[in-house]
Amino acid sequence: MRRPGKQGIGSHGGRVLAITMNTFTQLVRMKVFYFLVVFALIMLGSNFFDLPQHGLPETFGFSVLRAVMSWSLGAMTLFSMVLAIVATALLLPRDVEDRTLYTILAKPVPRIDYLAGKLFGVLLLLAVSLAVMDLVMLGVLQLRMSLFMGQVEAMEAAGQAAEKVARMRAELLANGPDWSLQGAVVAVFLRAAIMAVLALFISTFSTSTLFTSIVSFLVYFLGYFQADMREAFLRTTGEGLGVLERGGALLLTLVLPDFQMFNVIDAVIEGAAMPLAVLGKLAVVAGFHLLFYLLASWYVFAGKEV
Amino acid sequence: MTDATPAVEIVDLVKDFATSFRRRKLRAVDGVSLRIGAGEVYGLIGPNGSGKSTTMKALLGLVAPTAGTCAIFGRDSLRVDSRQEVGFLPENPYFYKHLSGAETVRFYGRLCGLSGRVLEDRVGEMLALVDLEEARDRRVGGYSKGMLQRIGLAQALVQEPRLLILDEPTAGVDPVGSRQIRDLIFKLRERGITVFLCSHLLEQVQEVCDRVGIIFQGKLVKEGRLEDLISIEDQTEVVLRDASPELVARIEELAVTGGAELVRSGRPRTTLERLFLRETMKGGKDS
Repeated sequence: MRRPGKQGIGSHGGRVLAITMNTFTQLVRMKVFYFLVVFALIMLGSNFFDLPQHGLPETFGFSVLRAVMSWSLGAMTLFSMVLAIVATALLLPRDVEDRTLYTILAKPVPRIDYLAGKLFGVLLLLAVSLAVMDLVMLGVLQLRMSLFMGQVEAMEAAGQAAEKVARMRAELLANGPDWSLQGAVVAVFLRAAIMAVLALFISTFSTSTLFTSIVSFLVYFLGYFQADMREAFLRTTGEGLGVLERGGALLLTLVLPDFQMFNVIDAVIEGAAMPLAVLGKLAVVAGFHLLFYLLASWYVFAGKEV
Repeated sequence: MTDATPAVEIVDLVKDFATSFRRRKLRAVDGVSLRIGAGEVYGLIGPNGSGKSTTMKALLGLVAPTAGTCAIFGRDSLRVDSRQEVGFLPENPYFYKHLSGAETVRFYGRLCGLSGRVLEDRVGEMLALVDLEEARDRRVGGYSKGMLQRIGLAQALVQEPRLLILDEPTAGVDPVGSRQIRDLIFKLRERGITVFLCSHLLEQVQEVCDRVGIIFQGKLVKEGRLEDLISIEDQTEVVLRDASPELVARIEELAVTGGAELVRSGRPRTTLERLFLRETMKGGKDS
């Protein structure tokens, strides 16, 4: 018989994939997808909420569409954030507690592969969850759109002015689901991904899941003030900034993600378009933080005695 | 690499742990050196907190030595690739409860670079070896203690390592499960796999090990071949079957006239464990 050991120790990709899929399966079998039922209920409920409107007859359907978008993206943000932080904070301590970590690291598994596998497992879960929520949201929006379009056609048949009907049809189409909305969903994913890698980093030196979760949520809120803090820091140091001040501002930018950048999601709900360049910028920032905190986690975890 | 390369070579291993506030250092292992030849079954025994598990963890690269070196088949154990040749079963292992037995072995096989047909064959082979074929699709969360130990052995052996490290392999396992694990160690020795185990159950260590080391307060205080360590140099044992009392009396006389002192004579006793196994196995067959 061929000696399996002679196959070699395998590739980084193979090991990371094995841990990724195991983490994903672990989280799925912990029944985390039950929250999708709650999401579906929120979607149903959002149909009964109208955002404040100006009362013009031309805006009759837009407020409902925007309410659906607003509730959906809000729920996506909430669920993805909780999943990213709690699921990641849970994984490492549980492996240490159950001594499963011993059996994994006693195999030819570099610690970076283990960490990357855990992180990618959570990211896969986030991606699948958001994709499902996105499909539900699009379904509801599409249904609503077809209902409103039917009403517009009825108005046209009833002899309403052609110009007015055409304007309403154009407005409805402009406020329906579009690529900017998909960009907003991707932005929600990128923001959650940053929080997942931050939680992973904190859990490499934290002693409990609770501590990791609390600190992660704190960092999340601080992230919304990062830009203000950076500005205030540079302003108070006055003119003629030295290397130290500039270094401090740079360090703040590196360590603390600027979550104000993700306010573009709210702009999309308000009907603004999301240029591809903005989404690209968010992807680059998220990619940087993922790499930075993954390497930082590795640095801490490599020296950890398990 | 020649056959003379030892499976395990630990040289002057020292491991200090920082205590609270880093004021003092706790020396868990203090200058341990040992060498285990390929194909040997080696037992490391010692009381709780004597440094057995730390020595094993250092050998697996799970903790970094403060001083000294550990090598597996000539490779420094801090190198990740040295672990391709080693399987490890920790004390009281818990595996991912969401996985079935087969999925567990498959997962560990993938970590060792196995895939496809080779991996599937190996999963089946390992489950058969540890007698868990019937439970292959059951979630590990529902396994008994003995089954967990056996699935632990299956994952440890999945890449067919040349060295198996077992930390208290029969802790908390009932005598029947314990016997199965012991039989498995015998099978592995026949296959030429080196086994390095630590256990509190001295009788078991005596039964399966070729060589033994005794560790106390972090130091290796005694080491050698089991036969050499436990044989009483100035005594000889003769065991007779169906000997009449007259024959025993004549042998006693002969011993005295030959200048020897008769220390003890009587019926040899079985152990409680053997009696338990005999009775429970018989009961199992009857039912």
